[in-house]
Amino acid sequence: MRNEFPCAFQRGWLAVLPLLLMVCCLRAEVAQTTDVTQATEIADSSEMKFEVQLIWATNDKKSPNPKHKPVEPEIRKKLDEIPLKWENYFEVNRKQFGLVKDGKTKQPLSEKCSVEIKDIQGRKVEVTLFDKTGKAVFERKQPLPKGEILLLSGNAPDKTAWFVAVKRIE
Amino acid sequence: MKEELQLKLQAYLDGELPDGEARDVADLIARDTGAAALVTELKNTRGALKAFESEIKLPESREFFWSKIEREIGRVDKPQTVDSSPAWLSAFLRRFLAPAGAVAALVIAVLLITQQTPGLVVASESETAFPGADTFTYRDYAAGMTLVWLSYPAENGFADFAPDDTLN
Repeated sequence: MRNEFPCAFQRGWLAVLPLLLMVCCLRAEVAQTTDVTQATEIADSSEMKFEVQLIWATNDKKSPNPKHKPVEPEIRKKLDEIPLKWENYFEVNRKQFGLVKDGKTKQPLSEKCSVEIKDIQGRKVEVTLFDKTGKAVFERKQPLPKGEILLLSGNAPDKTAWFVAVKRIE
Repeated sequence: MKEELQLKLQAYLDGELPDGEARDVADLIARDTGAAALVTELKNTRGALKAFESEIKLPESREFFWSKIEREIGRVDKPQTVDSSPAWLSAFLRRFLAPAGAVAALVIAVLLITQQTPGLVVASESETAFPGADTFTYRDYAAGMTLVWLSYPAENGFADFAPDDTLN
């Protein structure tokens, strides 16, 4: 009878070890979830800050529009990390704006497209893309912690492409 | 000399033989020099052993000495009694330990799998592509970036045909 289990496990206090282990794991998971939530969720009193950029991708070294400038290094680095065929990326427009909890804002990026960002209970954002007629063509909901980027993209004429980069900066 | 006779001589010397038999052996010793020599040697040996045998005297009575031994045996056995006394608790813990250990292992496995599979963590994503726009989504967890590619005809919505008129 006494040899059914290892000797150490016959001591009563060791039987609570699995429980302690479970509690520790659950606490760690809750803490992690809380961290993510806190990272995503903004207190009611403050507001989130977002940045959206309209980017044009091409293999040409220069943009025909002198107002275009190369994208900032951070975006460029991220674009280089994914398998895209374009060599140059130009910033067409960039906007920064704040968003209160459960608020939404629509930002025109050009005459041909605009983007709407809506906060969902401080946990997720809903990003909606509109075409030049004002028609919603795409909508996505996802958590967007600080520093993460959501890139909406598509083909443009002459084998170029457009990108709308949505980034939470605060 | 036969072994039986040797044993009989030893018994004679120890006074273990009946009177009749003892007399017969005494006569034999008187007649047989070999038997007499053996008896003499046995007597010498016994005398030598008695001389070297020291008598040990207990400082206390025999009953008190054995009672101490009995108490010591009881004291050594006592922890085992304590261990086995809460038998119901031990049985309960043993019954509890196996399933609890299994559940803990399962929880740990699920947590590890969940943490190592980022797709399971980000379970609250959804997207809707409206009619006319097919999409595919590429998620780079290391870079913290999600790329959504829309096949929506760009010239219809986001850009015109002229390159210098693209997007703006």
